[in-house]
Amino acid sequence: MLGYLLKRLIQMLLVLWVVSVIVFLMMSFTGDPVFMVVPIDATDAEIAQARRLLGLDQSLMVQYWKFITSLLQGDFGRSYVFRQPAMTLILERMPATVEMVLVAMVLAVVVAIPLGVYAGANPNGRLSRIIMSSSLLGISLPGFWVGMVLIYLFAVNWGIFPSSGRGDTAEILGLRISLLTWDGWHHIVLPAVTLSLGTMAILLRMTRAGMMEVARQDYMKFARAKGATRGDVLYKHGLKNALIPVVTIFGLQLGDLIAFATITETIFSWPGMGKLLIDSIYRADRPVIVVYLMLVALIFVVINFLVDIVYTLIDPRITLK
Amino acid sequence: MKYPSQSALRAGAIGVAIMSATAAFAQEKSVTIGLTSDPSHLYPLAGEELSSNIMYYHLYDPLVKRSADLSFGPGLAESWENVDEVTWRFKLREGVTFHNGNAFTADDVVFTVNKARESIRPDLVANIAEITAIDDTTVEIKTPKPYAVLPNDLAELLILDEEYTTETGDEQMDLKPMGTGPYKLVEWIKEEKLTLAAFDGYWAGAPVIKNVTFRPITNPATRTAALLTGEVDVIQDLAVRDVDRVKGEGDFNVLTRPSLLNVVLAMDTRAQSPTIEGENPMTDVRVRQAIAHAIDVDAINKIVMNGLATPSTQYVPSSHIGYVEGMNFREMYPLDIEKAKALLAEAGHPDGFTMTLDATNNRYVNDAQIAQALASMLAKIGVTLELNIMPKSNFWGYIRVPTENSSFIMSGWDVPAGDAGSMYGALFYTRDKKEGYGQVNRGSYSNPDVDALVDQADATPSIEERDGYLQEATKILLADVPMIPVHYEQDIYAARKGVTLEPRVDKFIWAYDMDVE
Repeated sequence: MLGYLLKRLIQMLLVLWVVSVIVFLMMSFTGDPVFMVVPIDATDAEIAQARRLLGLDQSLMVQYWKFITSLLQGDFGRSYVFRQPAMTLILERMPATVEMVLVAMVLAVVVAIPLGVYAGANPNGRLSRIIMSSSLLGISLPGFWVGMVLIYLFAVNWGIFPSSGRGDTAEILGLRISLLTWDGWHHIVLPAVTLSLGTMAILLRMTRAGMMEVARQDYMKFARAKGATRGDVLYKHGLKNALIPVVTIFGLQLGDLIAFATITETIFSWPGMGKLLIDSIYRADRPVIVVYLMLVALIFVVINFLVDIVYTLIDPRITLK
Repeated sequence: MKYPSQSALRAGAIGVAIMSATAAFAQEKSVTIGLTSDPSHLYPLAGEELSSNIMYYHLYDPLVKRSADLSFGPGLAESWENVDEVTWRFKLREGVTFHNGNAFTADDVVFTVNKARESIRPDLVANIAEITAIDDTTVEIKTPKPYAVLPNDLAELLILDEEYTTETGDEQMDLKPMGTGPYKLVEWIKEEKLTLAAFDGYWAGAPVIKNVTFRPITNPATRTAALLTGEVDVIQDLAVRDVDRVKGEGDFNVLTRPSLLNVVLAMDTRAQSPTIEGENPMTDVRVRQAIAHAIDVDAINKIVMNGLATPSTQYVPSSHIGYVEGMNFREMYPLDIEKAKALLAEAGHPDGFTMTLDATNNRYVNDAQIAQALASMLAKIGVTLELNIMPKSNFWGYIRVPTENSSFIMSGWDVPAGDAGSMYGALFYTRDKKEGYGQVNRGSYSNPDVDALVDQADATPSIEERDGYLQEATKILLADVPMIPVHYEQDIYAARKGVTLEPRVDKFIWAYDMDVE
């Protein structure tokens, strides 16, 4: 186990390093951030001054070296645009995103797993067909369209939910959480539903495919023959064995939504961190992009690690090496 | 007996106090405004973009105030006078305090100017050579040369509290602003909302609207939805496609106003141009005029802009110093394909030529579509445009003078200072001749007469004389066509009925001038 952890840690550092190098190289092609900061009629002297203030007057190698050395001292650099620490900018927006994604993922699992099990156990039933064709819609409808339709129907037409924003929040341990207030829940429903649809559909289809696969196994018939109820057979023997790929996809989707919920955030003007990434790309704000993508890489590594642990819980035959 | 009666009295008093407090709260006027983006800064020397500018003018004051229609009047300075050609004396308003109670004095003004010089915005004080505090309420400013529009420039310099700013530091100033403006910051939750409260000690009188909330709503359709559901009272940049819908609801007003942003096409006038093979035909004024004749600005307005643009008559709007009454680029160069072809033939290019148009796709309203329309219009006179369209983050560096990549550039220009001089100096003055001039002359246009007129305009302390020189320059430029002015974008706002809002020419929504029912 310790060896496994160590291996994972080294892998993670390697991934983070590669991400930082790639972003640094890429950003040298995406335009000069100085021109996003100075007025368009700035004189050469004014531009030189801005360049110096932003630390962009040095070569890329020197800039990278400075970035790495201050990183090791816990300083992640400052945004060119906001002139604030890049990490602070990201972290202050992170709770809103994580909260929305968690609600969306819980929603996806709660709906997808039972429906997937049902559709897998009764592949030819009429209800199964309806479930499966709706799931196709869930996969193929683009999020921005679903979001706009939900706003149009539930906010503008029927006035059930607000169209945008985060609503009231309560503070716990310095984090602002909207799930603790009624108004917060009211605001989170539409974005969370929008965000969950795609994942819901994928999980549903994975569960169904797994269940159909497992249903053919001898131990399922054997369990039934031993007198286990149908529900027990499906959920305890069937689902458990069908779950490995579902958990894998769940982990990947979770990371993906946390990192790139940008579209949903923009449509519902949800104050999350995904929008920061897009804005920073538009403004060539390299320090924010580097830290953001490194953080995303870290999130993925951690999630994958947790997924691995969940594997061993689901299937004791799997061990971490 | 004494004790209970007193406590009963006290309880009664508290009850009255609570009741009157809630009554006052119910009467307090509030407004929620939906902006297109969250401000990047609350510290005026940290950078500028529209949302930040809007916040700056709520929190801070300049010495000279710019009104909604671009006239200039007293702000923190009560009055000013020219001592000699390069010396100005500004009499400061007495009894003004910052939100923290510190008194506003001449030292704060001197501090702000010096602070700006070291910041990322030295352009704010480019025309100030020296500043001294004569006494607590008088500052003397020397300009490097006679400069008639110094007060207009000062409308963009927002005054900081020396003591507070020094203590707080640049980085924290962005989060904890402190000015003399009509509103104080209550809370700023990034990307979610920014709330302001009225500063009752404001020198021009306490604001009518006591609570202002700004919400950044980037997606245009969501902004419309938030207005329709009553979540916000006012929105900025109503999407063109939603105009009819919002008007149709009946409970809302749609307000429009031509902006100051002139979309212009810069033509290269060098003998060799980066994207043109052989000689550059645009060195010949007839070719430039032919291109102007081939562009159908009305069609662009109707088809690409849904009628929500105002065709430009000159390089600056009619409110500006340097505008020539009665001259109209559209009448000088009306759409006329035959004339355009004839001019091209006369210049020795009957078959036209090929060049590249550089344009943005996320900076101006429908910019990429305008570029496409231009390509099809110029194709009619044999000028083939290859489109090179890119996001703004690449664009500004790509087209930057000395424009080693470009022959034909579409960009925008606005002069909120209300004066053509800075634009002509930057855009049309011969390159590399004088420091601070011609730095954005993307077409390398050079005309000694224009240079001389700009020099003269920048050498007189009289606004009338400056206007005269700049008008002469305008006449030469309109005949010479170094650049084709296309149109001004229209700013579109929507507000629920009961909100009084006069859109400002500079787009800076200002709650102090608003009212709600």
